[in-house]
Amino acid sequence: MVVKRINGQDLRRSKILDRDKISKSLEQATSFGASYAELRLVSSNSTSMALKDGQLEKSIPANDVAATLRILADGSWGVYSTTDLDSIANAIESTTKLAKSVASRRAKGDSPITLAEVPIINDEIHWKTQRDNLDLEFDQRLEFLKELDSAVSDDDRIVSSRSGWSDEHIHTELLTSEGMDRTWSFQRTLINTMATARDGSDLVSYRTRAGGEGGWDVIEAVDLQDIGESARKSAIRLLSAQRAPSGTMPLIADPDLTGVYIHEALGHPCEADLVASGDSCLAGKLGDKIGNDIVTVSDDPTIRGGYGAYPIDDEGVDVREKKLIVNGVLKEYLNHRQTAAEFGLEPNGGARAQDGLHHPLVRMSNTVIHGGSYDTLEDLAEDIQYGVYACGSRGGQVDTGRGSFQFAAQEAWLIENGKITTPLKDVSVSGMTLEILKNVNGLTKEANLAGPGFCGKGQTVPVGDGGPIMRISDALVG
Amino acid sequence: MIPDDITENLDNKTREIAKVCKSLNISQWEIIAEQSYGYELDIEAGKITMASGGGAGGFGIRIINDGKYAYTYVNSLSGIEKALLEAKKICDVSPSIDGFELPSNSDATEVKGMYDKSILSVEPEFLLSQGDDLISHVGSLDSEAKVTGGGIGVGVTASQILSSEGIDQAGLKSSHGLGVQVSIDKDEKITSSWQSYSQSGLIDFIPKEIDEAVHWARVTRNVVEVDKGAVDGKVVMNGGAFTPLFSMVVPSAIAGEKYYNKESLWSGKIGTRVISEELTIMDNPHLEGGKASAGRDAEGVPTNVRSLVSNGILEQVNWSVRDSAKAVQQGLVESASTTGSAQRGGYQSVPYTGNTNMFITSKRGNNSTEELLSKMGDGYIVNSVMGAHTANPTSGDFSVTTSSILKVEEGEVVGALKQAGVSGNMAKALSGIVEFGGDVRPRGSYSSGSVYVSDVLLHEGVRINPA
Repeated sequence: MVVKRINGQDLRRSKILDRDKISKSLEQATSFGASYAELRLVSSNSTSMALKDGQLEKSIPANDVAATLRILADGSWGVYSTTDLDSIANAIESTTKLAKSVASRRAKGDSPITLAEVPIINDEIHWKTQRDNLDLEFDQRLEFLKELDSAVSDDDRIVSSRSGWSDEHIHTELLTSEGMDRTWSFQRTLINTMATARDGSDLVSYRTRAGGEGGWDVIEAVDLQDIGESARKSAIRLLSAQRAPSGTMPLIADPDLTGVYIHEALGHPCEADLVASGDSCLAGKLGDKIGNDIVTVSDDPTIRGGYGAYPIDDEGVDVREKKLIVNGVLKEYLNHRQTAAEFGLEPNGGARAQDGLHHPLVRMSNTVIHGGSYDTLEDLAEDIQYGVYACGSRGGQVDTGRGSFQFAAQEAWLIENGKITTPLKDVSVSGMTLEILKNVNGLTKEANLAGPGFCGKGQTVPVGDGGPIMRISDALVG
Repeated sequence: MIPDDITENLDNKTREIAKVCKSLNISQWEIIAEQSYGYELDIEAGKITMASGGGAGGFGIRIINDGKYAYTYVNSLSGIEKALLEAKKICDVSPSIDGFELPSNSDATEVKGMYDKSILSVEPEFLLSQGDDLISHVGSLDSEAKVTGGGIGVGVTASQILSSEGIDQAGLKSSHGLGVQVSIDKDEKITSSWQSYSQSGLIDFIPKEIDEAVHWARVTRNVVEVDKGAVDGKVVMNGGAFTPLFSMVVPSAIAGEKYYNKESLWSGKIGTRVISEELTIMDNPHLEGGKASAGRDAEGVPTNVRSLVSNGILEQVNWSVRDSAKAVQQGLVESASTTGSAQRGGYQSVPYTGNTNMFITSKRGNNSTEELLSKMGDGYIVNSVMGAHTANPTSGDFSVTTSSILKVEEGEVVGALKQAGVSGNMAKALSGIVEFGGDVRPRGSYSSGSVYVSDVLLHEGVRINPA
């Protein structure tokens, strides 16, 4: 047994792993030849709920517990992931052998994997919430969802409303052969809705989300009526919206879309594991001017309330703000310990795993463009003869190697002679990272995290993105 | 790879949960149990960087009482009673749906080719050798080409469904898959292509998809200048570009609840022509070794081979047990019953309505690549697209981008575009002339349904907007 059994104790708030037994197992790995071994356990208590047209569709309470053993031997990784925690002790030797098998195939010229040194810390960090998700009752969740859903459906043209809720309490324990023993926990809460409107044969949908790191106070703080009404009005407006023009033209993006743009176009190519694997257009460009002077971008897991916030990264490294671009100059990659060692950089707390069944990759957290000098949307639009103002995100994607990206807006308007005019639908924007960062030529002063999102890179993690309202001089709109 | 007693162990635990359900006086219950084991390896920067193994699993339990339901899942049995008591509370306050009951047991077709015993004996060393072979194969095709990302995975999943209504089915499924991101980084320009291949049996060969990844990384290096401005015209979409767009639109359009709630772009059109009369769409859950094949759906209901769109006419839509009962209660449809179309994203997911192995065929099929290009004359070949998930399922509109596109003049490839927008409407594109190649391949995932399709020549409904 590597798990403590404590009768009557609330295991959602207690340490789960048996320290003595895990420490012995990790020592055993080093005796088999491992240079480093770690065990990371993640226990997640979550509830997801969904409402369809005001009726409860599902409510799923769950507890997921899983652990990943990661062993570095002869400069290569062996990994064992399981939901059967009792099997870990027997996996030490085989996982070390697995790492050695990988290492034995390394070509003569290839360097073995090493890890950048980090402070060895023994501590516990539990981010407090004002309203604890673990104390939240079914009825309270339902109440929130009904308030949102009722605001969405209040129009005959809305043929359906679908609203969802998700709250989680994430508890992580990390023990390493270096003596690290860290335990941390935090919570995330999310609410979302999708309004589908129909008028004759025209059928459109609009979806929106609110939430972030924290307990259900995160939802208490938002105006659900306003969010619901806004989704309804947007869906109805899309019914009469025109198809977007195609071509290269000026684009203004709202903070939500600005966030997705910077996440896709810059954030992913800044991930050092992609740089190391030869799959980033920003390889070898640290210190280069890659964007307009006005572009400064940070990735910051310490922004409490951002959906991508976390107190410690999944390698036990303390987190901090990473300044990726400062005044157009590429300053920093997102790193984990392996890439930090490879590039001779400081680890900056960028290691994240989807859950206890996955190993850490280099990931973004809360990624934002800093504010600029303009006051309002109108100021940015003033000089545009013909362009597009696009709002809200339907997601995006990037080819980090080529440096090409695409993202889609929820809704948009034409800009004609400096004025916001005709509503548009199905607007997407694409471009090349190294070209379009230079075309950012206007930002409003106020910059904030926008809505919560999810990022897929083989593993899915929650992220926050945002920024100011942004103007791009030439964007490919479709 | 898996313990010898895996099915027995899973069965014992499932029956333990059933006992708890009975002890709590739960009238109807359904338990989905899954336990997977496997090995994986990662390839980065032209070398194998990591090998991993392990297992994961759990139990999902749906309980029903008077048309009300609740769902919960657990990794282990230690917290099962608490989880079920919480589910009971939720069940009590859930809305009741008349006629919603768990299905009773009936005979189901046994689908062959879903489990390859030889995968059980696969050791990590086999995967590592296969990784070496992939990397050297790519290098042998083009010395500049490198596998910058990807990996190989092999696994076996034991699963079981046990219900209070007498459904008791267990089985093993195996899978072996590989994917590569091939890149050529030369003269300060990176071109790349992602391709993957998987099957239920052991892969003991280098799939042609690997060669295709190298091919596309190479041919997209020869960029030609084209006139700026959007062009409506003919496009050959490879299966990898067509499927994600098709999958965003068509499966949603034939989901029963969406159809009758007027949320489908084909709502109200059963019995009428929705796409070209030359096209037929089938769902075949009985395909031997098929990606999403199963004799029973995710609720234990026997599956059937079904024609969804025949010669362009929409014939029927998909239903799961709860969705059909709910639609009847809401008055959306006079009568409806399950079509054996329930799917799940594993034990953590409640059942939803979906498809299995979807086939789209045309009377204008079985063309060679040369024939498709000849019939297109002037146009474009799109190998892959970015942003297919942003396609609008309710309208069929899509606006995506590609950096894997070739320009064709008079049936001959003249070069690549650096980047282009690809937009249009899937329903409109399928309503025009659609011609298919002869190399039908499965695309999509095991769990959420797949599409079997070849290269597709769309004569209309697509706009190319060169960057």
